[in-house]
This record gives sequence, structure tokens and C-alpha cells, in this order.
Amino acid sequence: MADVSLHSIAKSFGTAEILRDINLTVDDGEFVVFVGPSGCGKSTLLRIIAGLEPVSGGEIRIGGRRVNEMPPAERKIAMVFQSYALYPHMSVYKNMAFGLKFAKTNKAEVDRRVRQAAEILKLSALLDRKPRELSGGQRQRVAIGRAIVREPSVFLFDEPLSNLDAALRVNTRLEIAKLHRDLGATMIYVTHDQVEAMTLASKIVVLNHGRIEQVGAPLELYRHPRNLFVAGFIGSPRMNFIKGQVLGLDDTGATIAFAGAQAEVRTRLGALKAGDEVTIGVRPEHMAERAAETIALQGRIDAVERLGEASFVYMRLDGGEDVIVRAPGDEPAVPGERFTAYLSRETLYVFDAAGQAVIPTSRSML
Amino acid sequence: MSDIAASGVPVESTAQRSRFPVHILVFLAPALVIYTAFSIYPLIDTIRLSLYAGDETGARYFVGLGNFTTLLTDPVWADQFWNALRNNLIFFAIHMVVQNGIGLGLAMLLSLPHLTGGSVYRTLLFLPTMLSVVIIGFIWQLILNPLWGIAETLLQAIGLGSLFGPWLGQESTALLTVSLISVWQFVGIPMMLIYAALINIPDDLLDAATVDGAGPFSVFWFVRLPLILPTLGVVSILTFVANFNAFDLIYAIKGALAGPNFSTDILGTFFYRTFFGYQLQMGSPTMGATVATAMLVIILIGVLIYLFGVQRRLQRHTF
Repeated sequence: MADVSLHSIAKSFGTAEILRDINLTVDDGEFVVFVGPSGCGKSTLLRIIAGLEPVSGGEIRIGGRRVNEMPPAERKIAMVFQSYALYPHMSVYKNMAFGLKFAKTNKAEVDRRVRQAAEILKLSALLDRKPRELSGGQRQRVAIGRAIVREPSVFLFDEPLSNLDAALRVNTRLEIAKLHRDLGATMIYVTHDQVEAMTLASKIVVLNHGRIEQVGAPLELYRHPRNLFVAGFIGSPRMNFIKGQVLGLDDTGATIAFAGAQAEVRTRLGALKAGDEVTIGVRPEHMAERAAETIALQGRIDAVERLGEASFVYMRLDGGEDVIVRAPGDEPAVPGERFTAYLSRETLYVFDAAGQAVIPTSRSML
Repeated sequence: MSDIAASGVPVESTAQRSRFPVHILVFLAPALVIYTAFSIYPLIDTIRLSLYAGDETGARYFVGLGNFTTLLTDPVWADQFWNALRNNLIFFAIHMVVQNGIGLGLAMLLSLPHLTGGSVYRTLLFLPTMLSVVIIGFIWQLILNPLWGIAETLLQAIGLGSLFGPWLGQESTALLTVSLISVWQFVGIPMMLIYAALINIPDDLLDAATVDGAGPFSVFWFVRLPLILPTLGVVSILTFVANFNAFDLIYAIKGALAGPNFSTDILGTFFYRTFFGYQLQMGSPTMGATVATAMLVIILIGVLIYLFGVQRRLQRHTF
């Protein structure tokens, strides 16, 4: 078991800067998820930790040892690839035992570990099969088994679920979470799916354009996004953004005009001044709150998606902004008709012109 | 159904058409006709001809397998035949080892991840394959010419002048030299086929092996090589068929007598002399057909060994 720490990691391919100044500590036994849109550098960062890509600058430490110059095999890591990367000419057993061949493990020990891993992953009956005779989910488990038998300090997962169908994805997600509880190993997991990130992670690292936007526990990122990018990326459907302007300030916050309404919002002192352009953020699930102190926004419905337990109402506000409202499942909304969204000022986020959140950090929600 | 009734097609003819699939015949016919006229018929007629003998008057009479007995036992014919077959086997062995070995090596180098100018090397290495064999033969004769070829000068320039010899003119070296010229010309083909197979292996697989602790040699031996075995099988059988049908390069360099003293004679040149005649030797269509049939049998045996002995064990892998 080991912790992983990254100090000012930089990576460029030619003139293209992929990663810059990445500083991050992954504690022993933690489940960290790197999440971000495609091209944000999350997979590259994982490959750097694995030793498959050299860094252009900075230092990587695993278990306290500097590993920059070490080949992957000596870093005590194991990696699960998006494509599973099973050796097609080897049986399941040989696939799992392959890595141990180079670690000079004796035959009895190899056999014990492979059978134990197969037991954990319910692969015992499939050990003699070739990968092509397995289903996608089984292949995925073999890939995980190949990682387990090497008893690594750190598990690296590169979008391991993206080739599975939706039902299997949920299942495997739970299995990976269980595996983490059982093994207690450090795991680093890359995904572009924020649902996977929210459900699996003990700590999420949001990456964008080769930089870390925010690091934190899933609910912390959901409740206190540091900037517009994180606010928009975490949460599904994404947070609604509405342009607004600061009308005035007092001791506790700012009065902001947006979409034909006004609200007094608590903000960090000194973060805003009168006349500033701001962006109001509000999650779809907080736009149908018909309580006492609500702000009503009028608009016209573009489309309605009915999911049963909820209905997503896509509406265009009279100010011209498109927003999504998560309404109750029985909401009788019809496209083309007028609709009113109800917001509580307690649930509003405010971002300054540079996209940084200006809410007080001690704010508690819900 | 109402559409058919409306268009006036009798129901009976519809039923007949579905019983005999005429359209299949129509689509097969062009290929079948051309293939039969230019490949199957000549092949069968050659085999038929090998069972006949002719005399000076041009009359032909059936001799059964008599021609084959002559070919394999008559001292004049048998010596030449076994010599050509032995030379052909050596020719093939050199191609298998040198051409396919170097082809594999070049393909490995071309598939290096950070190779610059890869496409330039690829084109240059493949270029000789596209040149005419006559030109290749002529160029190498000029290069290796002991009187004014540049090979000796080049070797002298690097201090190896003493190693130079009239390689194409010596019985001991002529076959090897001709083989290596052929290797030089055709090394691009195994290289391209193996290269295509190598780049078909997903990078993830090689990365996975690296993470598993395999060094570059182990990655090659345990992962890449097993995955390109089917291609190596195809390359081998292509080499085998091409080598046992070879003729042109030796004819271009050494003529149909495949000198010196038949040391570069292979089945192709032997067949040419037998069928068409050369210098003092009279051509004999029937003995020529016999040699051609013998070549067919030899190639057939090789291909069958490959098909039933090798290919069945090879597994094509999908990724």
C-alpha cells in the first residue's frame, strides 16, 4: 500500500502543453477519480503515474520513493485499460499469470494468486477460455484480475467502464467499489463520466485544459464548486447559468438582477462591486421550489423529457437564456406553453466575471 | 402479393425462379468462364500433355507415366532435375531466413512509436520490388562486375577489398549471390505484410505488457510475435510459391543455362530449357509439360503441408 504524490508535473508533446503544474497528493487507500472532458489530460496524467509516459517536468513519488526514472514494473502499480488489453492468444489463466512470470514468482504462488483472484471475480470456471470466448463484462473482470494478482500498491483504471453497456456499467461500478473496500489499496481512476466520479470517489480531481480545477470529496464539489467549469461539470443535468448584474452591496451580500428578477445573495465580502457582470448558477433540481421566499422566472417550454420520477423541462426564459428545470414527475408541462420556474435564493451560486465562485465558503446547503 | 398480381407476372414462373437460382449462375459466370479458359483448361491440358511423347515427325502418342520415369531415373534428365530441385530448395531457404528475417526486423523498426521519416524508409525499401527484374539483374551485374563494377571499389574504400570475388561467376557463390539479389529486391513484401500486422496490434496491449513487467524483448517474444504468426505463415507460403515459380531473375542474370555449370539452375530455368529449348538443346513440349507438372506437384505438396499442418493451428486474433 502506498500514497502517490505529484509535484509540479508538466507534460508537453512538442509545442503542445498537455499538463502544467499538477500538484496532488493521493493518500494511502484513497479512491481518487480524475474527471474532465476529453483532451483535458487526465489519461496522460494516469499514464505518467504508470510510467508509460515520461514527464517534461516535476516529480512523482509512490510510497515515498521518487519513481520518475523507474520503468512501470518497478513502480508497484497495476493498470486496467479501457480496451481491457487482454492478450488474445492466452487463456484467462495465462493472462492473469503473465505479469508474475517477470516478477519471478514461483509456480505454486502464481497458481494460488490466480485462483484466489478468479474466486474474488467469479472467473474460476473461465480460466481456460480465451478472451474472445468471453463477454464484455467477463473480459473486464479478467483485466481487473490481472491487476489484482500482481498485488500492487496502486491500482490505475483508465476509463474501465466505457465499453460496457449501461446495466453492466452500474454493476461493475459497484464491484469496483467493493473491491476497493476489500483490498484497501490506493486506486486512481480516470473517467469522463461525472456519475462514475461521484459514485466511486473518495476524492475527485477535476481537470480541464491540463490544469487541476478543483480537488475535493464528491459532495463538496457538488455543493461548493470553485468556478464555473466545476459547477457545470459536476451534476447532471448540468447547472443552469444565467447572466446577471450586481445592483448594490451591503454587509451580508449583494443584490443581483438577473432574468427580470432580483435577489439578495450572500457573497464573500469585497468580491464584487456594484455594476459587476456576474453569472448566476442554479441547479435544475433547485428550480421547482414553490416555497415562501422564491424567485419566479417566466419562460416558454421548448421540450419536456419525462423520466417517471422527474420531468426535465427545457425552457427559454424571457431574458433569452435556456435553462433546464427538474420538475416533479407528474408536472403537466407541455412544449410551447408558458412555464414558471421557482428559485430559492439559498440555492443560487454567484460567479464573477472571471468565472470564480463568490459564495462564502462556510455556506451550507439543504 | 397484390403487387405481383397487379404487375401481371404469372405465379407459376415466380415459383420456378425461386427453385433454380439463375441469378447465382449469372453472377458466377464471368469469373468462371475467364478462370476456366485461362487457368483451369491450360492446367489440365498441361497435365494431359505430360502423359504423351512426341517424335521428330511431330506425332504424339500416349506413354502413361513414362515421361516421369525418364525425368526421375534417366541420368541425363535426373541429374538436371535433382540439381534444379536442390538449388531451388537452397534458393527458398535463403529467402525464408534472410528475406523474411530482415523483413521482420525492418517491420519492427518501422513500427517504432517515435520514428521520424518512417514513410520515407518504407517507400525506399519497397522501391526495388516495383522495378523490373530485368533492370535489377542488369544493375547488379554491373555492380558486381569484377572488371569495372563498383562493388570492389566500395569494399576497398572500407578496407575490405580482399574479400571481393567474382561472386556471380563462381560455382560456389553464384547461387547465394543470385538469391541475395532476389532477397534485396523482394524484402519489401514481407516487410509490408508484417508491418501491417504489427501496427494492427493495439498500443494498449503493448502498454499492458510493459506494465506487467515485460521488457522490449519479452514484449516482442510473448506478445507481438504470437500475434503476427498468422501473417508469418502467409509470408512463408507466398515465399514458397514465388520461389518455386521463380525464373526471371536468373534468366536475366545468367541466361537459361543458369551457369556457371548449372549452379544457379532452378526448376523454372530447367523447365524453360526443356520446353522451349536453348542453344543446342531441342525444345520438347511433352517433357516440358512433365517438368511443369512435377513443379505443380512439388508446390501442391508444400501448400498442402502448410494448409493442413500449419494454418489449422494458427489462430487469427481480433482485438
